[in-house]
Formats: sequence, structure tokens, C-alpha cells
Amino acid sequence: MNDIFRGQVVALVICMLMAGNAMALDGNYNNGDRLIAPNGSDDSTYRQTEWEELMPGSWIKSRQFTMPELSTMDDGDPRAQEALMRMREAWANAPIETGMIHARIRIAGFIVPLESSKHEITEFLLIPYFGGCIHVPPPPANQIIHVVPKAPLKGMQSMDAVWVSGVLESRHFDSDIGSASYYISAVKVAPYTEH
Amino acid sequence: MMSYLFPMALRSAWNRRFTLGLTLISIALSVTLLLGVEQLRHDARQAFEQSVSGTDLVIGARTSPVQLMLYAVFHIGEATNNIHWQAYQEIAANPAVAWSIPVSLGDSHRGFPVLGTTAAYFDHFRYGEHQPLQLRKGKRFVGIFDAVIGAEVAAKLGYRVGDHIVLTHGSGGLAGQRHDDKPFTVTGILAPTGTPVDRTVHVSLAAIEAIHLDWQGGARMPGFDIPAEYVQKFDLTPKAVTAILIGLKNRAGVFRMQRQVHSYTQEPLLAVLPGVALDQLWQVVGVAEKVLLAVSVMVVIVGLCGLVAVILASLNERRRELAIVRSLGARPADIFALLTIEGLFIAFAGTLLGIVLLYGLNMGLAPVIQSHYGIVMTTHAVSMDEVRLIAAIAGVSLLASLVPGYGAYRLSLADGLTPKV
Repeated sequence: MNDIFRGQVVALVICMLMAGNAMALDGNYNNGDRLIAPNGSDDSTYRQTEWEELMPGSWIKSRQFTMPELSTMDDGDPRAQEALMRMREAWANAPIETGMIHARIRIAGFIVPLESSKHEITEFLLIPYFGGCIHVPPPPANQIIHVVPKAPLKGMQSMDAVWVSGVLESRHFDSDIGSASYYISAVKVAPYTEH
Repeated sequence: MMSYLFPMALRSAWNRRFTLGLTLISIALSVTLLLGVEQLRHDARQAFEQSVSGTDLVIGARTSPVQLMLYAVFHIGEATNNIHWQAYQEIAANPAVAWSIPVSLGDSHRGFPVLGTTAAYFDHFRYGEHQPLQLRKGKRFVGIFDAVIGAEVAAKLGYRVGDHIVLTHGSGGLAGQRHDDKPFTVTGILAPTGTPVDRTVHVSLAAIEAIHLDWQGGARMPGFDIPAEYVQKFDLTPKAVTAILIGLKNRAGVFRMQRQVHSYTQEPLLAVLPGVALDQLWQVVGVAEKVLLAVSVMVVIVGLCGLVAVILASLNERRRELAIVRSLGARPADIFALLTIEGLFIAFAGTLLGIVLLYGLNMGLAPVIQSHYGIVMTTHAVSMDEVRLIAAIAGVSLLASLVPGYGAYRLSLADGLTPKV
């Protein structure tokens, strides 16, 4: 009878393993988390890029952003608050870095799905940090990439971390600030690992 | 050797067909449950996903994102509040917005929700993979009391172009709440989409205003009737809408637009990205899904355990039968094979019966589920996930069948030709 009992236990365990296969482990991120920048990449045709490189370098220099001399102001000086609001406003409306257009880049970020079909994501936005859209302020236009992957993503959902490889392009729209935004027709989208 | 073991096992099983038949049915039902749960989950997700496409933001009164999606897109549940017409105008005038569709909910027609909207709905609304709405018959609403109905409404209630329908205030039920002084004419029927659009009656926003002109506080004002032909004398601009669907010129600017909507000072608004809100819904539902899956797996295990128990229990009565078989030259390994084949056969037959039952239930219940929940249950060919599940069941059945086989093997070794009956 011991053998029969053992046989039943083995059958039970294997069944549990098969059922538990459905449950997946995902990474735990907190609001505002950014992905760790690893060393080197295994994909040599696409240069690994940081989000800071997508900020408009020449524009920053031309505006000469400097905070006013805070040490000379009294507490509660309205000029300090004004300067902060102006800088935030300018930053939110910052243009894209045109020098990065047509670069072949590999960049890591979080997914915000735009279009899904048959449980596959066919179009999404890539943002630099983790966070629901209410609690964390949205990134400026030069820190968002509109991605259309060549093959739809399977098994991914909102705020999953991925590596996106492709050629960075720009799209122009006749909106109020007349600014452009980044676009990638991604050759490869892979789950984020620290490589 | 195997050529006679099979028919022998089957005939032996036929001898105990009543008990084994019950076990077969229990396995069949458990398999139907497991596969049915998986299929329902899969089809429900698919139905929700393809209900809206190309829409960047869904805007409504401030509530939870999931609830906003449920009532604005899927017409399930009630809106917490409406938003003023002025808010809609300001949003529609925003230079970042490419198109906007205002929708007004609250009335119903014989259990189907009524949606008040504008021509923009037929121009810009997309579902599935950027598919536009198409009119199968007739045309869009032009006059005030024109209605365009979804395919499911037309099929279930047998409406044709030119028929007259009467809307009911609220989600129906109370007969006294009908807007029967202002009947509508069906001018168009939409082609099937497999989305909640099929079970919706579409009318113009002006019509929603018109039928509520002489209503106050959810009931008709006594002694103050405005006949249908006089509604044009009044201002039929809507005062409020339930939700707005918008598409942006630049899809990457969705966060900025969302921020602007949330910072709107005149009234509390919420803007959600449909994809993100749906993912939140799945996270909430996902826990229940996993529990349901675990329960279904348990039920299958219980069924298989029952099979093993029944065959093991019968071993005692079959000692003479096995002894006779041994005396005719069968080796203990053959006895092992005999019992294993019997167990496997019942398990596989049960699984097959379960799959057949599932398809039968599918065909029977699909129309009911579609008309009540808008979820399309497709009788599709077996998908990869289902194949994996069935393979898992088959694997466990094989393991389970080995148990009585081994039991009989041990028994026949010990008994030899002198059964202690």
C-alpha cells in the first residue's frame, strides 16, 4: 500500500506543478523607479542609450537655465517660486533632441499600452520611469517614445519593463506648441533584464 | 500481446459499466468545467479588448478608472455623475484633440442601453483592429427621433428599418417610465461587431434632451406635456453628457492631455487611457481568475482520484478474474497493462466527452451570454492553451492509471493461482 500512496502523491505534485505554471513572477517596482543602467549590451547594431540623451542638449544650453541667487532672497520671496514655475513650464514644453533622430538605439523603459488585439500589444508608449499616471507627474514630450513593434508583444501588460531596439524617428504635429515627438518602429522588444 | 489486451480490458470494463460510467461522467464534467472556465476567461478578455480601438482617452466625471471604462465603453453599470456641456466644448476645442465623441447614457430600450451621441461616433469610433462602424442597412440618424440600432438588438427584437420603438427612462423595468409620447424610428442597423455596440440603441444627443424636456426629477411633469412635434421650439443643446471619447493628433501627447483634463478647475474630471484601465481591471479580476482555475484543477484531480478509487476497489472482486487470466498464461506485466489500459481508457473517454459537452454548452449558451453581457463565445478550434491543458490532463490520467495497474501487479504476484475468495 505504501507504493500506491507514493504513486498518488507523485501524481498530485506533478499536477500542481502544471497548474502553477500559469502563475508568473514579475518584478516589483515602486512609483518613480528608473531602470538600472547596465554595462554594455549584447546587440551591437543598436547603441545602448540613456533617457538623458533624448533631452535637447543645445536647447538647454541656449536657454541658460540657472536658478536665481537663492541666498540673496528672503524666505517666501515670490521670485523664487516664479523662477521655479517658469523653469517647470519651459521644461514641460521642451522640444526633442534633433541630433538623435535616425540613430539606432537600444533603450529600456516601461510600457503604456495604446492598442491591444488578441491579448497582444500592437502599439505602446515607452516612458523612463514606473508610475501610474495620477500619482507621478507625466514625463515631458522628449522623454516619451511612441513605439510600434514589428511583431506584437505577447504576455505583456501596463508598466512592464522592456528593452526596445530600433531607429529613432520624429513625428511632427500641428498642435498648440508645434513640438514634435519621438517615434520608433521597433525591430525588437524584449523583457527587461540587466544586460 | 497488446492486440488481445485491449479488447480484453474493454470487455472487462464493460462488465462493470455502471460504476465506471459514473466515473467517466464525473471526469467529463470536470474537464468541461476546466476548459469552460479557461475559454470564458479568454473570450471575456478578448471581447473587452476589442471593444475600443484608436481612442486615446476616455473622459468622464471623476470616479475609478475601471468604473469609467465599464459604463462609458461597455455600458455596464451606472455613471457616478455627468459632466457639463461646457467641459465637453472646451475639451473638443483643445488644439491637441483630433476628434471627440460625446456620449450620453441613462435610458434603455427593452433591456438594451440607449446611447445618445453625435455623427462623430460613426465617423471616428473604431473597434477591434482600427475597424470603423458600418451600416448594414439604412442610414445614420438625421431627424431628431431617428435611431440606429446594433446588430444584436435587431436580431433579438426582430426590428427592421422603419420600425417604431419607444425608449424607457433608466435601465427599464417600471412600465410607467416609458417615453411613449415620443417614439423613435429605426433608420439604420449596424453590421455586427462582436462588441457592446451590437446591443446598443444609438440616438442623437438632441433626442435625449427632447425626450426629457417635460420630465423633472426622473418622472414626467403632470399636466405639462410637450408633444413630439413641438420639441424643436425649445433649445435642444445638451446640458450634460456622460462621457467623452477623444483621439489626439499626437498619441505621445496623451499624458499631457490627461494632465490638462485632471487640472480642469470647473468640475472634477477623470481621463483614462483605455489600455491602462483594462490592465487594471485584469489585475483586479486576475486574482479571482486564478482561484477559479485552481478550483477547476482540483475538481479534475478529484475526478481522477475517484477513477483510481473505483478501479482499486474493484480489484478485490476481480481476484478470480485475474487469477483465471494468469492461469491462461498472462504474465504479471500483462495484468499491470490490463488495469492501466482500463484506467487510461476511462480517463481519455471522459476527457473527450467533456470536450464534446463543452462545445454543446457553447452553442447552447453563447446567444444568452452575448445578449446579456456582450461577450462573444466563439466555437473556435482548440487553441494552444487548451491543447496544453488537455495534455496536462492526459499526463495526470496516465500517472493516475498506473496506480491500480501497480496494485493489480502486486496482487497477482502474491495470489498466484490460489485466490482467497
